[in-house]
Amino acid sequence: MSATLLPEERPLDAHRASRSRETKRYGFFPGCVAKESCKELFNSTMLLADKLGIELIELTAASCCGASVVNDVNRDVARVLNARTYAQAEALGLDDVITICSTCTGHMRAANKELLESEERMDQANAILGKFGAKYSGGVMVRHLLWMLIDDVGLDNLRSMVVRPLNGLKVAPFYGCHIIRPENVNGWESARNPHSLEDLIEALGGEAVDYAGKTRCCGFHVQLEKDGIATNMVGQNMRMAKDNGAEAVITPCPLCHLALDGYQQDAGARWGRTDLPTFHLPQLVAYALGVAPEKLGLNKHLVSPREIMVQRELIS
Amino acid sequence: MAKIKLDLFRFDEAVDTVPHRDLIEVEVPEATTVLDALETAKAEIDGSISFRRSCRSAICGSCSMSINGVTALACKTNCRDVVKDDGTIAVDPMQNFQPMKDMVVHMDPFWDKYARLKPYLQPKDKDSEHEIERRVSPDDMKKLVDVANCIMCATCYSLCPVVSVDPAFAGPAAIAYAYRFIEDVRDAKRDERIAQISEDYLWLCAHCYACSYCPKHVEPNNRIVDVKRAAIKDRVMMNERGPRHALVVSKTIKQTGMLAETEVILGTVGRFNVVGLIKALAPLGPRMALRGKQPPVFVKPIPKVDEVRTIFEALEVPVS
Ligand code: SF4
Ligand code: SF4
Ligand code: SF4
Ligand code: SF4
Ligand code: FES
Repeated sequence: MSATLLPEERPLDAHRASRSRETKRYGFFPGCVAKESCKELFNSTMLLADKLGIELIELTAASCCGASVVNDVNRDVARVLNARTYAQAEALGLDDVITICSTCTGHMRAANKELLESEERMDQANAILGKFGAKYSGGVMVRHLLWMLIDDVGLDNLRSMVVRPLNGLKVAPFYGCHIIRPENVNGWESARNPHSLEDLIEALGGEAVDYAGKTRCCGFHVQLEKDGIATNMVGQNMRMAKDNGAEAVITPCPLCHLALDGYQQDAGARWGRTDLPTFHLPQLVAYALGVAPEKLGLNKHLVSPREIMVQRELIS
Repeated sequence: MAKIKLDLFRFDEAVDTVPHRDLIEVEVPEATTVLDALETAKAEIDGSISFRRSCRSAICGSCSMSINGVTALACKTNCRDVVKDDGTIAVDPMQNFQPMKDMVVHMDPFWDKYARLKPYLQPKDKDSEHEIERRVSPDDMKKLVDVANCIMCATCYSLCPVVSVDPAFAGPAAIAYAYRFIEDVRDAKRDERIAQISEDYLWLCAHCYACSYCPKHVEPNNRIVDVKRAAIKDRVMMNERGPRHALVVSKTIKQTGMLAETEVILGTVGRFNVVGLIKALAPLGPRMALRGKQPPVFVKPIPKVDEVRTIFEALEVPVS
C-alpha cells in the first residue's frame, strides 16, 4: 500500500531521480548518535557501502539536525541549521544525502520541505547563511539508507548479492516513528502499513515477523522526562514481537536501538523477559553480504545476539 | 461488488468476562467505507453488532475504531485501502479505552482531560461589562481555525503510546485544545493554562507523531510543539525536566554543533541531583560502559562551528 495521501500532500522529492544514483557517490549524514554512543552503526554502514561499491561522502562540517527537540525552543532554527548542511552538500556537487537515523531522516526532510515550499523561508535561511558566505538553492534530497537500498540497489540485486543468508532467522522489523511519520514529510511508503523492512528481511533470507508494535514508538525522546515511561513503551512493543515468534529485531534508527537494546532488561519486571537482540539495519545487511561478523560491533549490544546466531548457524 | 470478511471484536460488559471474535462476510460495493461494511453486517447478518456513528461523513467524531490495528474514523476509511490479502479487515474498539460493547467504549477519561482545561473562553472582563463584540484580527484567528476543526473523535488519543503507558498524560487532543485558548488573544488565562497543561505532562509527549493521523488535520503533534514554545517564551514551569531538556539540547548544539549526549543527560536530570541521575541511568549507565557504549564526556566541536553560533544568534534562540 502506498502512502495514504492526496497527490498534493506528497512530499516534493518523494521519488525524485538523483545524480548520485548514476555516479554511486552519495552525500552522507551520519548524525550524532552514530558518532557518539552507536559507533558500531557508523562502522557497519561504511563496511556495507564498500560491499555495495558505493561511495558515502561524509558531510563532516554538518551540524546536528536539531532532532525533534530544538523545535520545542524555536520554530526556525532546525530549518536553518539543515539549510546549512544542504548548502555544504551542494558545494560538494551532491544532490542526494543519505542518513542512517530515522529521527535525522524525518527532521531533515521536514526542514527541506519547509524550505522548498516557501520562498519566504528559503530567503530567511539564505539571509543567515549569507553571513558566512553559504547559499542553499534547493537542490538536495534526503533519504534514509533503507530507501536507497530498495530504490537504487534494488531488492533483486541485493538478493543476488547475499552470500550468507539469514537461515530463516525470525526478525521483527521495528520501524518506530520518524522514518514513516508524518506521512506528508516522509511519504516514501504507507505509515500505517509499511513493508520495506519486511521485504529487506526476506531478501536477506530471514523471516519477517508481523506485530502491532512495529510502527509504535520506543519512548526514546522522553526517557529523561519521567522515569519508567520509555521502559514501558519498549516492554510493550517487544512483548508483542516476542509473542509473535520474533528471535531478533532490526531497526533503521540508532535512537530506537538505544532504547530497545538498553531498556528491555528493565522492562522485564513488568512485561516479562523478552531479551530480543536488536540489529542496526546496516549490520544485518552487511552480514548477509559477507562482511565478517567480528567487524560489525555486535559485541557492543547489551542484549547479545550471539546465542541466537549460533543456533541459526550464522556464526560458530 | 466485493466480498469482505469482517473480523470483529465482540464483547458485552454486561454479560461477558472475556471478548471473542466473529468472522462475518458481507458483500459491498468496491469503494465502500468500513462503516458501511459494518452497517451492512448489522442490517443483514447480526443486528446486535454495536458501534457508534452519526454523520457518516467525518463530522460528528463518533465512529473512531481500530481498523487492522490502527485507529481511524470508520466512515473515512475505504475498505479497498485496508483490506488484507486474505480479504479480511480486523475491527476492534479504540485502544487506550475500556470497551463497553463491541466497538463502543467508555469515553470518560478523554472527556475528563478536556474538562480539566476549562475549555471555554476566560476573558479579562465580564461579558456584562463588555459593550461590543470581542474583536479578533484575521491573522490572530488564522492560528486557531485548524484546531477549532477538532471533532473530538479521540483517534489521536487512542493512538498515543504515552497514554497507553501513563494515563496521567493529557494526550494530544487536550493539548491541542489548550493551544486553542492559549493562543486566543481574547483569553486572559494564558499562563495559568500553560501551567495547567504542563502539570498534565505536556512535556511527556514522545514526539512519535502518531497523532498526525488526525482525520481533521488538527496536527496535534505540531500544536504540542507550539504550546511548548509558548511555555518557554513565557517561562512557565521551567524547572521541569522537559524544558530543561529542550534548552540543554539547544545549548550543546550551539556550543559544539552536535547533540552532546552526556551533557544533555546531566543538564536535564540536574548535575547535582545524584539520586535522580542514579535512577535515570542505573543500571543502564554501567551496563553501557561495560560494552564501551557510553557517550563521550566531551564532544569535539564540528568544523566551522561559528556558523552554527551565527544561526543561533540571528534567530535569538534561547539556550537557558
Ligand atoms: S536526530 Fe539525533 S542522531 Fe540525528 S542528528 Fe539529530 S541528534 Fe543527531
Ligand atoms: S521509535 Fe523512538 S527513537 Fe525511534 S523514531 Fe520513534 S521516538 Fe524516535
Ligand atoms: S485532534 Fe484530530 S484526532 Fe484528535 S480528537 Fe481532534 S479531530 Fe480527533
Ligand atoms: S506525538 Fe506525542 S501526543 Fe502525539 S501520539 Fe505521539 S506521544 Fe502522543
Ligand atoms: S460517523 Fe461521524 S465521524 Fe464517522
